[in-house]
Amino acid sequence: MRTIRRAMATVVAIGMVAGLGLAGTAFAQDTSPSDEKISFVIGTTTGLPTVNPFRGLTAETYYVLSLQYDLMINFAKDDLSAAPGLATEWESSEDGLTWTITTRDGVTWHDGEPFTAEDIEFTFNTILENETGSFIDYFPNVESIEAVDDNTLVWTATEPTIAPVIPPWVYILPKHIWEPLGSYADMRNFANFPDTIGTGPFQLTEFVRGETWTLTKNEDYWAGAPIVDEIVVRKFNNEEAMVSALRQGEIDYISSVSVNLFNSLEGAEGITTHVGPATGFDQMSFNMCDADTTLAGYCEKNPGTGNPALRDPVVRQAISKVIDRDALVERVLGGYGEPGSTIVPPFAAQWHTPPTSDTQAYDPAGAAQMLEDAGYVDTDGDGVRETPDGEPMKFRFFLRSESDENQKSGEFIADWLTDLGIATTITVGSTDELTDIWYEHDFDLYIWGWGPDPDPDFILSTYTSGQCGVWSDTCFSDADYDELYDAQQVATSVEERQQIVGEMQDIVYDQVPEVVLFYNNTLEAYRSDRWEGLVQSPEPQGFLLGQYTPYSELTLQPLGFGGTDGGGTSGGDSGIPIGVWLGIIGGVIAIVVIVALVRRGRSEEDLA
Amino acid sequence: MGTQRYLVGKIGQALITLLFILTFNFFLFRILPGDPIRLLTKGAGQRLTPTEQQQLREELGVDRSVFPGQYLLYMGQTLRLDLGVSSIVAPGEEVTTVFFEKLPKTLFLVGTSTAASIAIGVILGIYGGWRRGGAMDMSSMTGSLVLYSIPEFVLGIMLLLLFSGWLGLFPSGGFESATGDLTGIDRLFDILSHAFLPWLTLTLAFIGEFYLVMRSSLLDVLGEEYISLARAKGLREKWVLRKHAVRNALLPTVTLIALSFGFVLGGAITVELVFSYPGVGLQSFEALEARDYALLQGTFLFFSVGVLVANLIADLLYAYIDPRVRTA
Repeated sequence: MRTIRRAMATVVAIGMVAGLGLAGTAFAQDTSPSDEKISFVIGTTTGLPTVNPFRGLTAETYYVLSLQYDLMINFAKDDLSAAPGLATEWESSEDGLTWTITTRDGVTWHDGEPFTAEDIEFTFNTILENETGSFIDYFPNVESIEAVDDNTLVWTATEPTIAPVIPPWVYILPKHIWEPLGSYADMRNFANFPDTIGTGPFQLTEFVRGETWTLTKNEDYWAGAPIVDEIVVRKFNNEEAMVSALRQGEIDYISSVSVNLFNSLEGAEGITTHVGPATGFDQMSFNMCDADTTLAGYCEKNPGTGNPALRDPVVRQAISKVIDRDALVERVLGGYGEPGSTIVPPFAAQWHTPPTSDTQAYDPAGAAQMLEDAGYVDTDGDGVRETPDGEPMKFRFFLRSESDENQKSGEFIADWLTDLGIATTITVGSTDELTDIWYEHDFDLYIWGWGPDPDPDFILSTYTSGQCGVWSDTCFSDADYDELYDAQQVATSVEERQQIVGEMQDIVYDQVPEVVLFYNNTLEAYRSDRWEGLVQSPEPQGFLLGQYTPYSELTLQPLGFGGTDGGGTSGGDSGIPIGVWLGIIGGVIAIVVIVALVRRGRSEEDLA
Repeated sequence: MGTQRYLVGKIGQALITLLFILTFNFFLFRILPGDPIRLLTKGAGQRLTPTEQQQLREELGVDRSVFPGQYLLYMGQTLRLDLGVSSIVAPGEEVTTVFFEKLPKTLFLVGTSTAASIAIGVILGIYGGWRRGGAMDMSSMTGSLVLYSIPEFVLGIMLLLLFSGWLGLFPSGGFESATGDLTGIDRLFDILSHAFLPWLTLTLAFIGEFYLVMRSSLLDVLGEEYISLARAKGLREKWVLRKHAVRNALLPTVTLIALSFGFVLGGAITVELVFSYPGVGLQSFEALEARDYALLQGTFLFFSVGVLVANLIADLLYAYIDPRVRTA
């Protein structure tokens, strides 16, 4: 017994001495200059589940993929038009049916294998054969895509097309890694880590699920190696913690910050805030699911519970006319946005067409008059209008609990509707609840948002009849619109497509299936006391990071790089604060006290 | 004989409880609104074609009816010790792998803080019971009651704001610094400084529990006749306390301690959330958000097994240290 007790005491003593010793070393090392690798740390609040592009993709997956892989044709830094990527040149045949694409020489995969046109052929054909949802929209009317030699790819379509130069937002995968996996199901289940092989400026080298992703620079990158050694993406569970980590210098960059927190960062020491482009929008959707009029037949089977009054375009138009978009931008977004109009954000300057009518122009008096004229009158004097059938105009209005902006907009709109003589019952629910409500068409109004591509194809597709029950917010259905959608896919010139896309925006604007409330800016912030070299893409108002083709990551460098100060985030920055010592010492003392008590108790017993 | 029957009885009870828990967990998560596929598409913006959605439904087994289809599949697999694969949090990975990946971090945090709460709570409890009404007793009583009644996450946020936000002494969250270029001792201290605030929160929050149980049980014992007898024999007061009172008073505390270690596995979901501490608790929250049914069920199964085993150990330990339980 006694031996054991001695041993315990010895262990505790050694522990304490060792602890103090370590303290000395740690403090000593704190003062030594850091010649560590240059790490740039990015905070995020969204999940990082997988790096397999055939799995569904989140914004963060896209970010990591954009550094890990290359596109066949890049988005140009200034205007996001087609720019050389893995392909250096491309030209179309006279009839617009055949595109001949020349690929870059001397590019190697991260494992040293040479890249060839066959890799593109393999990637595109895998998507075409298996209709991969994330990418299939980039390949309308494809007849074949073939590599005729190592440097030449031939894309043949059944209709004239400009699809190859839109360009397809598809990451090119190495055939020599993916083809041997076998079936598409096996490819989908492929972890793609470790040994994530791409051609991009960085390679994913470390992946701690739910915590961090580490990307290490590719020294042999064809466009020149990046300056930073690694980029780390770190997950936070809430925005407040992430912002506080930026303030403390634990991380270097954050994006998609909400307005209040963004404002709190303005003027903070060492931090520069940046108002990025307004690529997405928030919209208020009307439930238009109607067994009689919806083309695709979905609403016959799933009619939902939408209020029939909202199927009258006059009602929707009147509602839109009382919504003061400027006020929403000012009071909900704190000015970081633009008033909403059409479903293609002005950010996509090539495709956005300002409305040609004043269907949704702000005009509360006109809106009231429209309702009066159409027979929506308050017949019982309770302040709420009745429909011509005598039903009170009362709508269920759903807002997302995750979005402050949603809830604030909703409250303003509800007030404006009350003034118009329309009652609303607001329900604030989680995204989970709202997806069910949306799917069952168990709502009248809701507010949600979209974050479209630079190319408008996808957002335009969501308003086609076939998307009812899939992506359509409203089950809007219009035969002309559907035809135009197909037509824009086979447009042979940018001008022709612009024309069609403009008409489509007008149709949606005039029929008001949704009210586009505002286009909200992406708000970014970074540690400018440590970093420089971030560039904007697109120009003039672009993202600093998270660009469609990454440019900033190649030029990003520690402040005064090359000078005496190495800079960069060094892990030692957090130091070992005094509190830890108090904690450790407290713990050790507690153990010592216990041991002492036991010992003394026992020894008295022995004596007795 | 008696011991054996007692043992078999207790284990049997535990197994029946486990079956009940399995069923309960299954239905609990399916009552939640939100369908995993809809959350992926509409909720998270993943572009899956209707065919892909159907494939995914089949892969996850959510194309079947909840009862009996999914339920029987789940029970069958679980009884064969196959917990399935995670669908969304870690697509395609075995639930067991995903869970045990994060478990060490939680064990480290919750295990050490539970041990500290026990040590501090029990010592304060003994002292308080012995010197009942003294200054020390009054202050520990007030202190531990206050800490005990503040929800952990509120205490956590307060400590976070104070020590991390305002004083800037500690990092605001995570397991270690993201850059990952620290090694050896530096890394150890980095990890400790990240764990300190959640550790402190948990330790403070649970001192009260042990303090109160130890104190009241000691008070009960001190009123017993054999204590009077011991005193009458002329034994020194400290000797009476240690040899006669504390040992007997420890019985209820031992149960509590065993039970507490059962909850170590379940960790501290709220505290892990507040400090973005990447343990199993945080992961279960992510699984819940994404409706990753397999991971949720697996995680909660491990949580429940932890508690059950701890219960069983408490029962057995109790029988071992207190013969009255066995024979009764």
